[in-house]
Amino acid sequence: MIDKKTHRLIRKEIYIVGILFFGLFIAMIVYFCNYVNNGSKEFIYNAYNSRFSVFSDDVVRGNIYTADGKVIAKTAYDSEDNEVRVYPDERLFCHAVGYVGQGMAGLEAQYSFDLLKSNITLEDQINNNLAGQKSPGDSLYTTFDYDTQLAAFDGLGMFDGAVIAIEPDTGRIVAMVSKPDYDPNTIAKYWDDITDSTKNKSSLLNRATSGAYPPGSTFKIVTTLAYLRANNGDDTFSYSCNGKFEIDDYTIHCSGNKKHGSEDLLKAFSNSCNSAYAYMGLELDRNAFIGTSEDLLFNTTLPTLLDTTKKSSFKIDDKTKDSIVAQTAIGQGSTTVSPLHMCMIVSAIANDGVLMEPYLADKLISADGQLVSQTEPVEYGQLLTKEESQLLQSYMAAVVEEGTAEKVNFGEELTVYGKTGTAEYTEDKSVTHSWFVGYAVDDNGNKLAVAVIMEGAGYGSKYAAPLAAKVFEAYFQ
Amino acid sequence: MVNVITSFSRITILSFVLIFTLIDLVQIFEYKLNEAVYSILSTIQSVMVVLFLFNGTFVLFMAKEDAGMIMLGIFTCIFFVGFYVAVYRLSVFVPRALINNMFLFISFGIIALARLKTEFAAKHMIFLFITLVISLLVIMGLKYVDRIERFMYIFAIVGIILLLIVAFFGQVENGAKLSFAAGPIRFQPSEFIKLSFLFFISGCIVTFKDMRGFLIASIGSAVHVVALVLARDLGTALIFLTAYVFVMFIAYKNYIVLSLEIGVATIGGILAYHYFPHIQTRFIAWTDPLSVVDDKGYQISQSLFAIGTGGWLGSGLNKGMPNKIPVVTMDFIFAAISEEMGAIVGVCLIVCFACTVMLILNAAFNCNNSFYMLVSSGIAVLFAVQTILNIGGVIKFIPSTGVTLPFISYGGNSLLSLMLCFLIVSCSNNLYFDSRQGRRHDR
Repeated sequence: MIDKKTHRLIRKEIYIVGILFFGLFIAMIVYFCNYVNNGSKEFIYNAYNSRFSVFSDDVVRGNIYTADGKVIAKTAYDSEDNEVRVYPDERLFCHAVGYVGQGMAGLEAQYSFDLLKSNITLEDQINNNLAGQKSPGDSLYTTFDYDTQLAAFDGLGMFDGAVIAIEPDTGRIVAMVSKPDYDPNTIAKYWDDITDSTKNKSSLLNRATSGAYPPGSTFKIVTTLAYLRANNGDDTFSYSCNGKFEIDDYTIHCSGNKKHGSEDLLKAFSNSCNSAYAYMGLELDRNAFIGTSEDLLFNTTLPTLLDTTKKSSFKIDDKTKDSIVAQTAIGQGSTTVSPLHMCMIVSAIANDGVLMEPYLADKLISADGQLVSQTEPVEYGQLLTKEESQLLQSYMAAVVEEGTAEKVNFGEELTVYGKTGTAEYTEDKSVTHSWFVGYAVDDNGNKLAVAVIMEGAGYGSKYAAPLAAKVFEAYFQ
Repeated sequence: MVNVITSFSRITILSFVLIFTLIDLVQIFEYKLNEAVYSILSTIQSVMVVLFLFNGTFVLFMAKEDAGMIMLGIFTCIFFVGFYVAVYRLSVFVPRALINNMFLFISFGIIALARLKTEFAAKHMIFLFITLVISLLVIMGLKYVDRIERFMYIFAIVGIILLLIVAFFGQVENGAKLSFAAGPIRFQPSEFIKLSFLFFISGCIVTFKDMRGFLIASIGSAVHVVALVLARDLGTALIFLTAYVFVMFIAYKNYIVLSLEIGVATIGGILAYHYFPHIQTRFIAWTDPLSVVDDKGYQISQSLFAIGTGGWLGSGLNKGMPNKIPVVTMDFIFAAISEEMGAIVGVCLIVCFACTVMLILNAAFNCNNSFYMLVSSGIAVLFAVQTILNIGGVIKFIPSTGVTLPFISYGGNSLLSLMLCFLIVSCSNNLYFDSRQGRRHDR
């Protein structure tokens, strides 16, 4: 026999192999735990996962509420005592809350798992079990403000388009409306109609988060920031506007062919002078311009806690024709944005450059009133510096005081900052989308950022800005 | 009432498994433990296994209203006693921790199979007793064979011929040729060739103490692996390859050769990826299963749904939908366990598998004979790789390779092979002593 010491020496490789495999096992455990804890929630919301039907055997799907406690989705019983999902406000919250029945969508889909979990006390659960009764599922409280949502919904009226309102310092979405819409109560009945591609205008699409619109003059916020950065924060600029700007064989007209005369940057912004901005856009270094737009989250997935959003697109390069660059600088060309994205840019400006990630789901409460989980506001980071934000704030104030939105009545108590937009979207230049993006501050320092788009409505100052005024009024009441 | 028992049992089952696992983490240092402590801990572990077994079968008895469930529990216990007595008679030192782990895995297998397909659990039970008898006969045979390594070439030749027969005449299952039928028995040679293969390479190493052993073992291994690749049984090919690489490392202690071999294996893997379409589809199913959820990704997606929906505590036995996963009783049984007993139990199970590998390596380290030291180390590597390939595939840690989970998946072939392996490890010191009739020196 060999003595123990040499034994250990010549066989230590056994434990090297052992430790190697033990490490692999540990890596596998870490991966597994990470999946169960983080990855699985997203993965299992899938039509191919039939396990949800098992949950609903024991639990009644929980309700969904607005932040001020109004029920916007609940489980009720029909005449034959079957469970049905009821949406008391019908179309009002349809895109955000979604539906159950014809598959799932919106918050109903995203939080299906949580709504079908019951966090009442174990004792009550056992009693329910013994009595053969279902336990009540947890309720979801959203960030919606009922009156603000209603104001946005009524204000949009018959127009197609979207309204979204976000609290800049938290990221809470207090209103989100998209039209055309649908009634989630009867979605199964009219499903074929709603999804019929010949007559529909994609009513299921949430235009607020997934719309892709030309930004029009609201994009001048981005162009202005790019100009400021090109000049190290100096806003010296002068341009003499004669109502049009010619480049190659293309002519860009100012709105209503108005001659704005001699302008500095502030004037050009508040007048929304197309000629000045077309000129400015051509002066900018194109890569720097792209860089600024990407700092403001163009061409990237928007940082939100929502389930689906659309990437905004801004593309020019060295080969792009000058006439196209000039159009792009005033928000035409191939640039597209979602209303959510414009609202996020404005909230970052209102919040001195810091973007809070927008969210809709505030907290989950068990049927006996215990808090199950709460969403904490998430800070995404600084999109632009404090100085840049303050300069843009003063420009947006000028739009409301002496610029394109000067005639809009925003009420006495509020200080409003904004930018209007009128975006062409077809060859026919007389049909335009009406945009307003901006925010309001009341005496107590509460803020609300809003983005409004009304499809085919016309001037932003005439349609979209007054609608924003109604939203502000409802919120700050 | 059944619901309450099921819900409550989630916690008790979890506690039994958790206590077992925590003790396991101490037991891997078995040679540093005081004998009395080792004995007490082992006894607690045995009690936990039995409690777990009866808790599980009781829940199933209540849920399915089938008294057969309790019978399954009782027969499993009889098997445990039989196995323990056999090892006690065969070996001076009984590695109780290792045996407890094996009992735990068998209990998991019986409960999971009884839950999924009751008739499979009954058949599995019959397999258990048959394989115990066969493997005891084999072990007693080994004890009377003098210098088993003399037969290494026979092991290699028989193994390779059987693999080639399967490669050319086997039945195709899931894109691979694995087995052929002899009457009612489905015979899957690769399970047994794992052992004969280890005997072959260990024999080469102890017979020639120089480069010749390395060369002959390498050539023999290459032929084995090629035969498996011809049968398209790539998971098993990978297991053989890894066992070869690490046994060589333990024998020759050469880090350069180790890195070279791993390099060659990686290149082989890349080539295999390019030449086998069914590897590519498995790869896609691994990277983004939902994109091919209708088709190749269906199984792994269902598995992940099961694990994710079960969550940490699980749905409770008989309350989930594990039968939605295709071939759940074989390759994907871990997902079924995790769904119904919870991911914490799943983690415990993985820890127990890791501890078992360490316990086998302990036995190898303390084996007083080089041949069985190498065989035992090889068994540890086989066991580890097979477990990692199976569980890793089920949880999407690695692409799915279609190997079974030791002791838990349904199937007599792998059960017999594993039982043999564990008996060899348990008796490794005593197998040698009896055959030392000539004047052989330990090397």
